[in-house]
Amino acid sequence: MTDKNFETHEHDVLVIGAGGAGLRAAIEASAAGLSVGLICKSLLGKAHTVMAEGGVAAALGNVEPRDNWKVHFRDTMKGGRYLNQWRMAQLHAMEAPDRVNELEEWGAIFDRTHDGKILQRNFGGHTYPRLAHVGDRTGLEMIRTLQQHGIHTGMHVYMECTLTRLFTAGEGDDKRVTGCFGYWRENGKFVVFKTKAIVMASGGIGRIFKINSNSWECTGDGQALAYLAGAELMDMEFMQFHPTGMVWPPSVRGTLITEGVRGEGGTLRNKDGKRIMFGYIPELYASDTAKTEEEADLWLRESTTGIASKAKRTPDLLPRDIVARAIHTEVKAGRGSPHGGVFLDIATRRSAEDIKKKLPAMYHQFMELGDVDITKEPMEVGPTGHYTMGGIKVDPNTQESRVKGLFAAGECAAGMHGSNRLGGNSLSDLLVFGRIAGEHAAKFAKSVQAKETDKGAIEAAEKEALAPFSRDEGPNPFLLHEDLMNQMQKYVGIMRNEADLASGLKEVERLKDAQSRISVTGNRHYNAAWHESIDMRNMLIVSEAMARAAAQRKESRGGHAREDFTEMDKEHFAKVNIVLRYGKGGDMELEEVALPPVPDEIKKILEEKE
Amino acid sequence: MERTVRLKIRRQDAADKPETRRWEEFSVPWQPQMNVISALMHIQRNPVTADGTTVAPIVWEMSCLEEVCGACTMLVNGRVRQSCTALVDQIAPGGEVITLEPMTKFPLVRDLVVDRSRMFEDLKRVKAWVNLDGSHELGPGPRQSQENQEEAYPLSRCMTCGCCLEACPQVNPRSTFIGPAAINQVRLFNLHPSGKMHAAERLEALMDEGGVDGCGKAQNCVEVCPKEIPLVDSIAQVSRQTTKHMLFGWLLK
Repeated sequence: MTDKNFETHEHDVLVIGAGGAGLRAAIEASAAGLSVGLICKSLLGKAHTVMAEGGVAAALGNVEPRDNWKVHFRDTMKGGRYLNQWRMAQLHAMEAPDRVNELEEWGAIFDRTHDGKILQRNFGGHTYPRLAHVGDRTGLEMIRTLQQHGIHTGMHVYMECTLTRLFTAGEGDDKRVTGCFGYWRENGKFVVFKTKAIVMASGGIGRIFKINSNSWECTGDGQALAYLAGAELMDMEFMQFHPTGMVWPPSVRGTLITEGVRGEGGTLRNKDGKRIMFGYIPELYASDTAKTEEEADLWLRESTTGIASKAKRTPDLLPRDIVARAIHTEVKAGRGSPHGGVFLDIATRRSAEDIKKKLPAMYHQFMELGDVDITKEPMEVGPTGHYTMGGIKVDPNTQESRVKGLFAAGECAAGMHGSNRLGGNSLSDLLVFGRIAGEHAAKFAKSVQAKETDKGAIEAAEKEALAPFSRDEGPNPFLLHEDLMNQMQKYVGIMRNEADLASGLKEVERLKDAQSRISVTGNRHYNAAWHESIDMRNMLIVSEAMARAAAQRKESRGGHAREDFTEMDKEHFAKVNIVLRYGKGGDMELEEVALPPVPDEIKKILEEKE
Repeated sequence: MERTVRLKIRRQDAADKPETRRWEEFSVPWQPQMNVISALMHIQRNPVTADGTTVAPIVWEMSCLEEVCGACTMLVNGRVRQSCTALVDQIAPGGEVITLEPMTKFPLVRDLVVDRSRMFEDLKRVKAWVNLDGSHELGPGPRQSQENQEEAYPLSRCMTCGCCLEACPQVNPRSTFIGPAAINQVRLFNLHPSGKMHAAERLEALMDEGGVDGCGKAQNCVEVCPKEIPLVDSIAQVSRQTTKHMLFGWLLK
């Protein structure tokens, strides 16, 4: 009976999200000869991947022949402070070069070395120049290539469609996805998708923070949908604050400035003109970081011109969590720039011509948005909510979640980056795990028969979605969203402590109650307030997960810093991931789960020295 | 008095409700270096017109807010552009009224939102991709010189925003002209070492009605392209390629 009411589509594999991971997964599943539907909340090609700037990390060894997957693997694990799922980090390092080469075959245009190979640049935490790039707009090139490659595979693209529920059948370990429910943003009409397998590739959660670099779509939809369907979330306490967001003008506060600026020689200075990062080199990185400006500059000069530098790396390129906290500390100590950041200087470091050639998008962005000429003046920068290391817990070999047939890849999946992601490792993550998820989703879909969705579940989803229209009076969803962003920024931000986290949780509870009372007027035709009311449910789920996990982890590690526990805890928290699931009665359940044991041959690789 | 920004916005509730087409005026507090999007966001949170009437929140598209994705394209003071980089102080330095309208060459959805899916259909028509399937152990790709990269690079910057179609007089309800964006993609893929192998198919797609011959050489496209893609060059290039293909292509078959 419900099928008569709702527009219904059926595919073997459904991919949710059309960023890098989703497109790559869909291409792979299509190549397996299956019927594939790709669903995106906005237009094809406008996904958040488009904003990635610096490049895609892959140990191609084009600039530095000493580079190989083992070094990349070691860098990734160290950057994540060893909380990564080692198998994912290994697969990623091994397969990234193939994925980059493949992208080039499909038409992506990378910058070249003198002898015609793909050029690679330095980035934070990467031992060697490793980021294949297209100026500073690598994400756009990747999306354009994947989108154009994807549309010819015969996959069906559903644009401007938001999903509100996943459907499952069975219980416990037999639980399996059967489809999903959503609406067309344009006319508000409901749509049901039937499928055998789903790849969740919905991206991040940055919109829960006041200052963030994310597009409006990054509201944690995939994490929330999977959680409500019975999958587990993991590592949700780890939020990457990118050190260099714009702090001025206010209308673009948080907008990203690529790490590539520092990769090309840019340095961070405080209001006294002092290079700040020499004062913030942690023990873990002390042995391979330069202590003097001379050595740091020698390294930069040599490594960017293809000389195998014996000098140590500049501290400006330490991993992001370390740089972000350094800036936070400088500003708090009163040594910041006029608008509450620090200065990022490329103008005195490279010629105007070099800057325009190597960082064209940054030059353009500051000119257009901020009226600042970065070839003449320094930029004002400060930390901005950028990336979640946490997400849906998946099997490291197949990307399958706890729910059968539900796979996840890219930012919405957890495990690959541990407690902190290295720059450039997200674009490669999308390609490597997008492909793996697509492959295994296709395998799964081929091995099973389609299952019907319970009609009651479809009706319940409709009722839930329409609820905001049934109330005559209630909070405005846009104001609630602003409220949530402020609370998360204040209590669950870059520096945390027990009292703040408790306050944060309390605020989330208050907002959950408010969300359940939202009232929306008008009809369903492109009703932005209604869309926001549904996104709010998802943002509150991921916010609660982050606050709970952060309160549980009594240590500082990567993207989780506690004022009351400033050190890494080698005894206990080094050995566990925090997992959250939808418990009986709807409460969020939390469990500490031991990291998988690392085999001896992998331990050996981790201990090797350059 | 507090400084304000005045906006006049073209609204329509749905494509099939032309009777709801109207202008609404809003006044929002000024902020240093604010852009049009931040003014729209303000109205969204507080959808009250200049004369005090509460209205439905305005809808528009946006994503990156840094002129990378092209989603927020609309007519700002009659000129097609991304609204994220439309700085209020630059477009209305003396506090003039800023008008916002949806693009006119695409079907309207609501308010400032239009349906740009034809651009993807156009890419399919010209086969703007490299024909390779599945994933392979490809090894290093074909070597390409920095010069070749530099020719292709500007062409690859297209973000399918629709500005060039909006500005082109030949793109109109009485014509089937495919427009500059897709033609530029043909030039790009015909440059690619592996893409070249299917150059003929792309050119043939542009030799039919609505193809490259539809260009009226008004050169508006190049004026409005936010990424400064040499669209007129691309059209001329591809036009030469099709002519050559038309005259000599059969010899190669």
